[in-house]
Amino acid sequence: MQSKSTYGTLAVKTAVLVIAALLLFAPFLFQDVRALEVAARICIFIVLVASYDLLIGYTGIVSFAHTMFFGFGAYGAAIALRQMGPGWDAVALGAVAGVVVSLVVATAVGLLSLRVKAIFFAMITLATASVALVLASQLSQFTGGEDGITYRAPDLFKPATKLMVDEDGKVARLFGVKLNGKLAAYYFVFFTSLALFLLMLRVVAAPLGSVLKAIRENEARAEAVGYRVVAYRTFVFCLSAAVASLAGTVYAIWLKYTGPDTTLSFAIMIDILLMVVIGGMGTMWGAVVGAVLMVMAQYYLRDLMGAAAEATANIPLLPDLLAPDRWLFWLGIIFILLVYFFPRGITGTIMQKGARA
Amino acid sequence: MPSPSLITRDLTIRFGGHVAVNQVSCAFYPGELTVIVGPNGAGKTTYFNLISGQLTATSGQVIKGEVDLTRMAPSARARHGVGRAFQLTNLFPQLTVLENIRLAVQARAGDGWRLLRPVHRFTKLTQDAEHYLEATRLTRAAHLPAAALPHGDQRKLEVALLMAMEPDIYMFDEPTAGMSLDHAPDVLDLIAQIKADPSKTVLLVEHKMDVVRALADRIIVLHNGELLADGAPAEVMDSQIVRDVYLGTATEETA
Repeated sequence: MQSKSTYGTLAVKTAVLVIAALLLFAPFLFQDVRALEVAARICIFIVLVASYDLLIGYTGIVSFAHTMFFGFGAYGAAIALRQMGPGWDAVALGAVAGVVVSLVVATAVGLLSLRVKAIFFAMITLATASVALVLASQLSQFTGGEDGITYRAPDLFKPATKLMVDEDGKVARLFGVKLNGKLAAYYFVFFTSLALFLLMLRVVAAPLGSVLKAIRENEARAEAVGYRVVAYRTFVFCLSAAVASLAGTVYAIWLKYTGPDTTLSFAIMIDILLMVVIGGMGTMWGAVVGAVLMVMAQYYLRDLMGAAAEATANIPLLPDLLAPDRWLFWLGIIFILLVYFFPRGITGTIMQKGARA
Repeated sequence: MPSPSLITRDLTIRFGGHVAVNQVSCAFYPGELTVIVGPNGAGKTTYFNLISGQLTATSGQVIKGEVDLTRMAPSARARHGVGRAFQLTNLFPQLTVLENIRLAVQARAGDGWRLLRPVHRFTKLTQDAEHYLEATRLTRAAHLPAAALPHGDQRKLEVALLMAMEPDIYMFDEPTAGMSLDHAPDVLDLIAQIKADPSKTVLLVEHKMDVVRALADRIIVLHNGELLADGAPAEVMDSQIVRDVYLGTATEETA
């Protein structure tokens, strides 16, 4: 893109590196259960949002079925772990099954409907995702219905697992952090997410990435210079579905619970859309920034407002406005302001600033 | 005479009751530059669309060499060596000039499916793209988004994309339309260079008579979707029938 050599781009890349470093050392920097929960969720949503950005930001495909693929991966692992017991064979089978189902559905939807106008395609994905959601709640003997499924993750990730023991046979500590299964689980999430993110970063920098951008910019012209647009679109739809599915598998292992609300719901789809819009479409960095801000807001805005309400307890009206229960109201206002001041998303807008000679 | 590189046989397209191109049979030869003229609405661009695939014929055939292109998608025709520049500038607006051209080079090289090696390591693609940048004198603008170019340079980029495809059949649809006088010769020189290659076939839709005179080996006239005249420039331009067509529409338009 033209923004290659701006100071803004440098700033965004630095910010992303800082975020990556914070996530890498998260268990040591933020030593409480909730913070680790947030960090793991951020890792997974970065992958999920980045894979969605491949569609909406790079290729210009609007899909509402992204949580469906996320759900296929999660339910694949969940069902396998539930039925086969907590083992790596179950994880592998679940991951592969999730990816295969995702690829089959994505290919079918892609070939049948990527030729039609964008709006119809979006509607078809919406319908398909609704069907998946209904199926997940109806086939309760497999999926646990609305309640979802709980299961055990592989033994390595059990909190009781000792990665290292000290002289007394107790779990060893490094900088005060227990080297237990929880830590192993976090690093499993972190490194899988990192690998998937780097893979996507690689794809968008490759010739294929240029073709995707060309399709977004001018589909007819891309076709006229010799690119089979339908084939490329179907491919990227499949690729993003497969990545979303793997992210779902990782999330299922981390949570040890899978239900409609954690993977399939449209609320998550809307979160993904907001993250990609706020972060900035068509730059993988946008996914990182969007996911971090949104997940942090979801977890901490309430606390922050609670503190703010207490601090302003003596002032009239303000404590009422800042009551923690109104956090969604403020989140909405923040979104509106972000979209207003950063029309191309935070990274997209910043990357245009500060042109270098 | 060599065998034709491109043939349209009874090529027809109907839009509802309107026949936009009606049974046009014509053969084009390598080393020959054919100018297609005709009044507005004569079906010139529609004829081009049928050849390059943006439209599919109702009946008739488009044949390149031994290959029947009639039912093929535009991308397949491009891979078979039919290249097209558009009348209304038709670029990748937010991508840089260099990236625009590299996309055309890459399509020809068949590298579009490479998904793990970064673009910048494909030095051959970039070198080729830079070659066409120089040929069209756009090197200065290489890193600007296409949308930021002045109109004349956008037209040149349109031509550069076509050249980067290195087709056998070059189709130019009013390449100098809306261009200032100092830009037009650049584009016309490029077309003249292509025409000098005896293996290339050039089709050109053009209104400006000085351009037609300077470049045409042959002129065909379309009128109401039908092939009205076909022959050497001098012969066609002097014929009564062509004068009638142009004068006829002129009076219709003023009426």
